[in-house]
Amino acid sequence: MRADARAYLERAKNGEIDFAEFARKFYEKAKKLNERYGFFITLNDFERFASVKFEEPLFGLPVSIKDNICTKDMRTTAGSNILRDYVPPFDATCVEKIKEANASIIGKTAMDEFGFGSFTTNCAFVTPKNPWDESRTCGGSSGGAAGFVAAMDMPTVALAESTGGSISCPASFCGVVGLTPTYGLVSRWGLIDYACSLDKIGCIGKSVYDVALVLSIIACHDERDSTSLNVRQRDYTKHLDEAPRKIKAAIPKEYTENLNPKVERAFWDAVDKLEREGFSCRKVSLPHTKYALASYYIIACSEASTNLAKFCGIRYGLELEFSEENFERYFSRVRSEGFGEEAKRRIILGTFARMAGYRNKYYLKAMRIRTLIINEFKRVMKNFDCILSPTMPILPPRFEEIEKLSPLEAYRCDVLTTPVNLAGLPHLSLPCGFATEHGSKLPVGMHVICDHLEEEKLLKISRSIEKILGWEYGPEA
Amino acid sequence: MDLRHSGIKIKIGLEIHAALLTSSKLFCRCSTRWQGREPNTLTCPVCLGMPGSKPVLNEKAVEYAIRIALALNCKIARECFFSRKSYFYPDMAKNFQITQYEIPIASNGYVELDGKKIRIKRVHLEEDPARLVHVGPSVAEAKYVLIDYNRSGVPLCEIVTEPDLTSPREAREFLQRLANTLEYLDVYDSSLEGSMRVDANISIQKGSMASERVEIKNISGFKELEEALTFEAIRQANALERGEKIPRETRGYDSNARVTYSLRGKELEEEYGYIFEPDLPKLRIEKSFVERIKRSLPELPHQKMERLSKFINKELAKSIVSDKDLALAYERVIKHVDKKLAAVWLGNVLKKILNYNNLRFKDVCITHEQLVRFLKALEKGEITKHAGEQILRELIRDSSAIEKIVEMKRISDENLIKNVAVKVLEANPKAVLDYKSGKREAFEFLIGCVMRETKGRADPKKAREVLKRMLD
Repeated sequence: MRADARAYLERAKNGEIDFAEFARKFYEKAKKLNERYGFFITLNDFERFASVKFEEPLFGLPVSIKDNICTKDMRTTAGSNILRDYVPPFDATCVEKIKEANASIIGKTAMDEFGFGSFTTNCAFVTPKNPWDESRTCGGSSGGAAGFVAAMDMPTVALAESTGGSISCPASFCGVVGLTPTYGLVSRWGLIDYACSLDKIGCIGKSVYDVALVLSIIACHDERDSTSLNVRQRDYTKHLDEAPRKIKAAIPKEYTENLNPKVERAFWDAVDKLEREGFSCRKVSLPHTKYALASYYIIACSEASTNLAKFCGIRYGLELEFSEENFERYFSRVRSEGFGEEAKRRIILGTFARMAGYRNKYYLKAMRIRTLIINEFKRVMKNFDCILSPTMPILPPRFEEIEKLSPLEAYRCDVLTTPVNLAGLPHLSLPCGFATEHGSKLPVGMHVICDHLEEEKLLKISRSIEKILGWEYGPEA
Repeated sequence: MDLRHSGIKIKIGLEIHAALLTSSKLFCRCSTRWQGREPNTLTCPVCLGMPGSKPVLNEKAVEYAIRIALALNCKIARECFFSRKSYFYPDMAKNFQITQYEIPIASNGYVELDGKKIRIKRVHLEEDPARLVHVGPSVAEAKYVLIDYNRSGVPLCEIVTEPDLTSPREAREFLQRLANTLEYLDVYDSSLEGSMRVDANISIQKGSMASERVEIKNISGFKELEEALTFEAIRQANALERGEKIPRETRGYDSNARVTYSLRGKELEEEYGYIFEPDLPKLRIEKSFVERIKRSLPELPHQKMERLSKFINKELAKSIVSDKDLALAYERVIKHVDKKLAAVWLGNVLKKILNYNNLRFKDVCITHEQLVRFLKALEKGEITKHAGEQILRELIRDSSAIEKIVEMKRISDENLIKNVAVKVLEANPKAVLDYKSGKREAFEFLIGCVMRETKGRADPKKAREVLKRMLD
């Protein structure tokens, strides 16, 4: 059953929805799904959830919020023990915006601690299970967000965030649509930082329309975030169905190598269908791709290691009993106890990469490679409308497989999502087909990438892909 | 040991941190006037380093830093950026400081100090950490530490010199000149607590022996800077004398004990792991912006001194110029009274009274009009020098004391003086005898008595004449 927000808003406008009834039913389902799958770190109180005004533009549409986005008076943990009981004193800008638009907030979704992971297995509180197969991951780090949108058969959208693929990866693994906007289009005020030069707030929905709708609400200039772009707010749903005529798509050969064969087949099948419907797809080469993963992890960890320094048990977050000790020992005790293993690993990696003597070799070099990668994308974008590729090189792995992965093998799963995140280009993952593994039907995601600030084009192209491929959304309940 | 004649060559470089007088902090809208305020009342998520908060650069601070840089003859960067300097310390809201590293806002300037160029390496902006309050008898014995985030995020301008200073005295003079210049630029107020902190690098050379560069951290005050550097130069010279090596290290200065002490050696040199500040875009500085600031620069102390020295004594000019508001008052009053007379009274008499009371001109409530009236009274001989000093001493506390110009009018009437003198002679028969037996001091004593009896109002010349006549 397709339950995207478009139908909901139409019915709401026509007065066909009894919101009290809708809210009760929605909340109950959410609670049940959460008990079974573990999508939420914090589920909102029913009263607070349902106290929204049933008015334009969103008519109480339920929105979930990734738990690294600050919500005033509502616990925000970023998936970390060190913020186990942290209640922010202010709303993130995007939360302000969706509240003003009369969305209801269903809860705070599960994520890898501070966004450190691709399977949401590094969350201090819960590990969400994939609704297509409970023995598998939802992907990460916005695993709870994508999982809930996929599992819920009522309209709902999610605010999520991507640093190196944290929207696309779970969207792909859960068979939903994930939009990561141009870096700077959505204000980061109120986002608990992972790596500030890479962090982007975006959204996950059941359809291209859903993410266009959310983007129209949250994309605006914000003087509280100095990297926020001065772009006029607009309605991205308005011209969504006006498909650009002949779409020229580039498929980087580097992005179609070393894929899981089932992913590969599903992707090329989809490309065939698109070509039959008038897409012109051509292979291109992005030779710097091979350096992207390493550069991403060096930059992301370098920034993360400074961002996480503020958590030391003084003003907020985990506090321990003081004993006769100097501040260094106290900080160390708090941080040893509060951070999980992956957070510690990234702090150590990041600190190393920016130390005198290594800084030039790692951090500064990675920054230079980043510029080369941006230029490479820009060159391709001169001649094409978009880039197409599989979103993830693999199918959603099973938890038992994830346990056996070394950190490096886990990082390698991000090989297709990191380049575009380094470049800050807008991109969208949408389902393009299915594969069957061990008897489970699993979704395969396609990545659509456009040039900076070409969200409107990105959404239109994605909408025409959606129409051509015509997938029904959501796993069978 | 006298450093001047010891054959020691000293090299000193300074890193000065001056708090800028912007009304809001460097990256948020909180007020910068934390002095005397209830702790932790001038804070917000940004200067507290709350998760999810982001810095927004205060443009005024950029303007102030450029004012400073231009006054120090620096080259202004067309484009610069901020960096994160990471270290863990309880006064750091984020455990990193937003500062400038690779490309500062300005560089390559100089200050001319008595004809010698002191090169300025760089000028940059950074945020002040929070203020730590140690609870206990001393920092070392403190039982615990309280943190006041009111100061967290106050804009600091860091000014770094090349090691061109060659004596502790010269370092002090340089610092005084710099502070004076910053005040003329209206970007800094030296009377505010903690408004200037200095790190000093010093190395010495004696014959073929030389010390490694030693850094003395966190010195506040001109006198303290000279004392700390003098102590350190002598300590290094003595160690070299004994054949010891001076290793590269960081030291602190204890201004009570007046000694420097080792904080950490070279092997423990700080590791700051600088990265570019990813929350702030590059800062482009438009030429037109710099030009506009350049045009608005006021006359600087050394320029003013040069100009004033053309008609008054150089020492007096120096004294007047060293207090910005006093200099302003001087320039106002000389439109109405004699320049030289005003220079002596403001640059010498008033300045001494202010210094003695540890005050500056802006701390006292003397209006320019009062000063003119006062100086005119002196100019016309309506009051004596002695009475003038007395009035001035009262005037710095109470502006109504100006009326004493009338009360303390000079007594030139010989009869009046004579009446006083008669009383004085009657009361001091011994002094009269002494005088008659040829002791000249006795006359001075008796004159003193006459002046005291008239509260300094008697015309001293006339009093002498009258007394002399009466005695002879």
